[in-house]
Amino acid sequence: VKSQDFKTCAQAAFCRRGRALSARAQESQAWKSPYSVDPSSVAVSPEQASFVAAVKSSLYPNIKFSLDVRVHDDGVVRVRMDEVDGLRKRYDEAASWALTAEPTISPDVKWAVSKKDVRATYGAKNDIEVVVSYDPLTVILYRGGKAQVVLNGRGLLHMEHFRTKATGEEKAPVDAPADDSQVVMQVNNRAWFEGEEEDGFWEEKFGSWTDSKPKGPESLSIDINFPNHGHVYGIPQHATRLDLPTTTGENAHFSDPYRLYNADVFEYLADSPMSLYGSIPFMHAHSAESTVAIFNAVGSETWIDVGHPSATSTETHWISESGILDVFIMPGPTPADVFAQYTRLTGTPALPAHWALAYHQCRWNYISSDDVRDVQRRFDAEDMPVDVFWLDIEYAEEHKYFIWDKKTFPDPVDMMHDVEAIGRKMVVIIDPHLKRTDDYPVYKEAKELGVLVKSPGGENNYEGWCWSGSSAWIDFFNPSSWDWWKSLFITEQGDKWSWTESTVDTYIWNDMNEPSIFNGPEISMPRDNVHHGGWEHRDIHNINGVLLHNLTSQALMSRTDPPRRPFVLTRSFYAGSQRFGAMWTGDNLGTWEHMAVGVKMVLVNNIGGFSFAGSDVGGFFGNPEPEMLVRWYGVGIFSPFFRAHAHIDTKRREPYLLDEPYKSILRSLLRLRYSLLPVWYTAFRETSVTGLPVLRPHWVVFPKDEGGFSLDDQYFLGSSGLLVKPITDKGVTETSIYLPEDQVYYDYYSYEAYRGASKGKNVTVPAALDRVPFLVRGGSIVPTRERPRRSSMLMKRDPFTLRVALDTSGAAAGELYLDDGETFSHRDGKFIWRKFVASKQHKDLRIKSVDLAAQRPGEAVDGVALSNYNGANDFAKDIATVRVERVVVFGLSTKPKSVQVGGKELYWEYTPGVASDTKKQGTASVLVIKDPGVGVSSDWEIAVQV
Amino acid sequence: IEKTSGVPPSLLPRYRSPGSNSASWSCLDGSKSIPWSAVNDDYCDCPDGSDEPGTGACPNGTSYCRNEGHIGSLIPSTRVGDGLCEPECCDGSDERPGLCLNVCKEVGEAYQKQQEAERKVRRTGSKIRSLYIAHAQKEKKRLESQIAAAEAEITVREKEVARLKDLADTTESLSEAAIQHKKESPLYKSLIEHSLALKSLQREYKKHLEREKALGDILDALRLGYNPNYQDMAVLEAVRGWEALAGLPHINDVRKEEGSTEDEGAVAEQQEETLGEGEWSAAKLDKELDSLLKSDYETLLIEHDKHLGAPAGGSLLFNLTAYIPDVFLPQYLAFRNTLVSWLETFGIAKGINDDSADTSAARKTYQDAEKALQSAQKDLDKAQNELERLYEPEWYGSEGEWKKLDGTCLSKDAGEYTYEICLFGEAKQKPNKGGSFQSLGKFTHWNNAPGVEPGSPEYYTKQYYERGSKCWNGPMRSVTVLTSCGTENVLLTVAEPEKCEYHITMTSPALCLPLDDSEAHRDEL
Repeated sequence: VKSQDFKTCAQAAFCRRGRALSARAQESQAWKSPYSVDPSSVAVSPEQASFVAAVKSSLYPNIKFSLDVRVHDDGVVRVRMDEVDGLRKRYDEAASWALTAEPTISPDVKWAVSKKDVRATYGAKNDIEVVVSYDPLTVILYRGGKAQVVLNGRGLLHMEHFRTKATGEEKAPVDAPADDSQVVMQVNNRAWFEGEEEDGFWEEKFGSWTDSKPKGPESLSIDINFPNHGHVYGIPQHATRLDLPTTTGENAHFSDPYRLYNADVFEYLADSPMSLYGSIPFMHAHSAESTVAIFNAVGSETWIDVGHPSATSTETHWISESGILDVFIMPGPTPADVFAQYTRLTGTPALPAHWALAYHQCRWNYISSDDVRDVQRRFDAEDMPVDVFWLDIEYAEEHKYFIWDKKTFPDPVDMMHDVEAIGRKMVVIIDPHLKRTDDYPVYKEAKELGVLVKSPGGENNYEGWCWSGSSAWIDFFNPSSWDWWKSLFITEQGDKWSWTESTVDTYIWNDMNEPSIFNGPEISMPRDNVHHGGWEHRDIHNINGVLLHNLTSQALMSRTDPPRRPFVLTRSFYAGSQRFGAMWTGDNLGTWEHMAVGVKMVLVNNIGGFSFAGSDVGGFFGNPEPEMLVRWYGVGIFSPFFRAHAHIDTKRREPYLLDEPYKSILRSLLRLRYSLLPVWYTAFRETSVTGLPVLRPHWVVFPKDEGGFSLDDQYFLGSSGLLVKPITDKGVTETSIYLPEDQVYYDYYSYEAYRGASKGKNVTVPAALDRVPFLVRGGSIVPTRERPRRSSMLMKRDPFTLRVALDTSGAAAGELYLDDGETFSHRDGKFIWRKFVASKQHKDLRIKSVDLAAQRPGEAVDGVALSNYNGANDFAKDIATVRVERVVVFGLSTKPKSVQVGGKELYWEYTPGVASDTKKQGTASVLVIKDPGVGVSSDWEIAVQV
Repeated sequence: IEKTSGVPPSLLPRYRSPGSNSASWSCLDGSKSIPWSAVNDDYCDCPDGSDEPGTGACPNGTSYCRNEGHIGSLIPSTRVGDGLCEPECCDGSDERPGLCLNVCKEVGEAYQKQQEAERKVRRTGSKIRSLYIAHAQKEKKRLESQIAAAEAEITVREKEVARLKDLADTTESLSEAAIQHKKESPLYKSLIEHSLALKSLQREYKKHLEREKALGDILDALRLGYNPNYQDMAVLEAVRGWEALAGLPHINDVRKEEGSTEDEGAVAEQQEETLGEGEWSAAKLDKELDSLLKSDYETLLIEHDKHLGAPAGGSLLFNLTAYIPDVFLPQYLAFRNTLVSWLETFGIAKGINDDSADTSAARKTYQDAEKALQSAQKDLDKAQNELERLYEPEWYGSEGEWKKLDGTCLSKDAGEYTYEICLFGEAKQKPNKGGSFQSLGKFTHWNNAPGVEPGSPEYYTKQYYERGSKCWNGPMRSVTVLTSCGTENVLLTVAEPEKCEYHITMTSPALCLPLDDSEAHRDEL
């Protein structure tokens, strides 16, 4: 990393001021926040749980602030504060880009106003209390009398009001008394809080860049404390551990705060609080008793200090460059509740197209259409599955996106058709910078439409340097750009220019949308650049990337009627990005450290609400040795987004290029991913409805098990019961897996039964290079498709295998969701959602398939609550012949006497072994039931007579 | 589905009913017995996949398509029942009935046509190839006679060298002591030292010149070709620094003013240096330093002695010859020699060294002769080497079919660059906009992949040119030439699948093997 390219807190004036404020508060014995509510101003809405009030600062009695506190119908508390009638307007639109809709304010919760505070009590058990105290202003959320979240408890709230530079009131106090010494006293009266100097108020230099700061200081500081929570997670994206290490206090792990400022960080560090490509200001606080979270809807650069004053409490301090205070407090109390509360605000992840969960093969760059065909040919020759081929920037003539370089890609549409013929797709990169040349229709139209970002002053179009050389940037904050952008992707010839040299199976990769600008400060855009509405770039920086992602995904949907599910990969993201597609962790290095931290970063993204995440398999930079590459595929097949990618300077490393035994190992790993696609798809259905992440760290699944709170190298895959621990170290032959409960877990490969303990227990599991350690939790039924195919599309009619992993009581259950994988017809009821249940009846085991969709139609699919479900829908009819070809039961206690469906004896094989309901170690007993003759979409029951 | 569905003809005997559906049948690898009913029942029972030749149930099996009217083919089971009509299965038997049409007639016809076209190319190509082989035979004869002649010449020259060496040694042994004494002179020693120092300086100077040029080339290439998008401001600074040093305009300005004819080189201001008195200019250094260093210092030493002796007249005794009338000269010389030998005996006078010039002349003649011998030897070695390589599979092929193309240069204009390959020599990349070429490497070997026999046709389908100029941020450039049979020697495509590793496709008649009897026969039909 070139650390000197990026600011430390000490190099950012507002962060410096924020941390200095915090230091002064720490040192002072009698620190008290200068902000207070004017009791006479409190105005409670008669209809809803909201009130407004005036806030004053004792430092600046003439400056007016307003406070607006609401309780939403799901118990989330929103706290907003803004400067009123100031010199200028603070940026207040961050939430509008993140939220799916204006949240509904509870009509039931009542605010009670007293002389010193406003308070409300609510919740199913009536155990939640929100108290807004007047002087000093604090907001505290209690549960059962215990403080969960405290705003301004340390008095670090500070909203720097707008002021005039030369005649700033700091220097000319109103009603200045004649006595000079009193003037000095008065200035000092503010210095205890604000410091002596105007530190970087009006101009700021970094390297060779100068930020003109025409609006002056406008930063925002707020402390948010969790007095009863010892662990905090979230605020992606940083390359560090899941359980956020401290940045303050004694022995702080990091000296700088966590930074959120979307940036293109070249060769980033594998353990650092530095900002990366995306920002989600969403933080979970967790203890064995409860989980709460906050979402701080701010779009400007934000630094977050994290400290643990004790092992069971957490202090955080959020310092932002501009914008209003707009904090959402999610009361939990379970992780699932928090995910539901957060996704009600910012949306659930979109259900991806089914193929998008398969394997993606990328490289910078496949250099020609023949190269693409050759890569496809070689995958097929090796019978290795792959669904998507990607094109990086070199397809575009002079990096003019959309415009094919005809020297190397003379026949793009034919090439795509050749790929599509095997049921595959292509993803092509489109970046937001436009080469400034009038023979480039996209630039020319953007210029004429007036939708380019402006340089400081707002007069001229900003010019910067990026892949395409001298470039301009589309300002997606300008609504005029929206329909125009969507029109560019139309594949059919119309009146205006559009991308006719593409197909409706061409999908998009949006890179560089932080934005990355090679000659800009911190490789990004000058903060004093001007966007639509006159907002400065500093106000919206972290939101910038999500707009391109959003609009490109809309563009892909508008190509066809009816629309098909879009796929857009983004590098930059913000809260809400999960609605628009996938992300990856950017330009990682081909090292073991980056492989390991990639797992953690993907986990953090999952609990940050954005499950569809992955990191470049193999590492973007460098030439990984075969062992490392194989392990990286082991990581990739258990990542929601699974893509291999490589820098242009690296050697080619497509899986078919490796020598044996590595090549065969990669083939079997790829096939393993494909066999588990039903599990992935079912997990994505769940997140698309509930917001529960696809990858779940231990604390999400076992919120009361302290032993799992800091685990971030093993995780559960959805609700499937699969527990994965990818190997990210060299020379490993076995590993330790933590089992959080008194339950049996089975090795997926060997059927070895491992026993956990109620207080948690580590077990040693084989981890040879040809296997990724992963276990099936007792009590799970895992549906797979085990016929290797060239692409996932070609598995559509393949039969299923059900792995029934009996728990210690001899029971198990699992889910399967299926639809056409490409359109939105699932929202019209065209899908199947099954539940498989294995239960003991007397001594026998009954395995049956029931229709979950019919039982719970309202929570079956994303985006719509169906009132009923028709089991004979078009999709179900289409797959009526798709059967279950095999049922494998682990852990039966004895050999069955018979296995029957509908009174008909089936063919089966039994291998004796350890039973699930004992305490024994060893290989589990395995019953393989051959071809039970049952459909995957119909109700049935298999009777295993013991 | 039939039990024999997907079974290749050779294995049909293994798929005979054992009598009843419940009777047992052995997996082909013998690892397991299963009921006959389990064969082709769309469930994989055999570990080797042999029970499901007609379905996609086994991940590791194969399936046979009869393709009547065309050629039967074996496909992986993973392609059976996947909903796609395999081109290898023109009879459509890989998918459920009704999904795929039987297109074997059309496919067969197209295949025949294509085969015919290929045979035609091969027929023509192999004729040219036979000319190449004939060329190799002629070359063989030529080289053989060249070798014979060279060997004869060498014998003569060796004798001559021996005689001349003897002569030179004799001459030198006579005067060696004298010369040795003169070489003790501090002036001579100092001269030799100066000369050595100068030589060393010149060597270092040349090294630096080369280095500077190489650096300049690298920086020029960086300046012209650098991708400003490596996000590396250090590169930009390097470019700007070089431009300042070399007096070039900034490349981005040049790029902006496309079409401006301003000569970049002309912008550079040549700074005039002022030379001290007698100091050499760079041009003079360039031109004259070499010849200065080639001076024969021994000769100089002798000349110097003469020069010193001249004004003083030297010793009267030794210079009397000048004054003695010719008629007395013979007697005088006889006397003088006697006297000098006496004097020498008594240590009074030193020997006369008039004959040292003769010594170096003799040595020179000997050395020239030896050089001529070496050069003849070199020619011989070269010819022998060529002869050896002529039928060496690792060089020109076991029939010498590639010899004809030795040194043939082929080029391909790929837009920005023209690529040139001189076969068995060097491959180059030349910018079409002008500027210096990059070496992509020199011929090193044919396809040496494991399992490829030297001399086999596959061996000659790949040629490697390696160790070209080094890439910025990458390896040394190299080329793999992928060759197939064609009637012409021509480069078809150029690609750079990895940084600085080029793939160039080429056709050559040298790879067109003659049709064998059955193939030729097919043609006649």
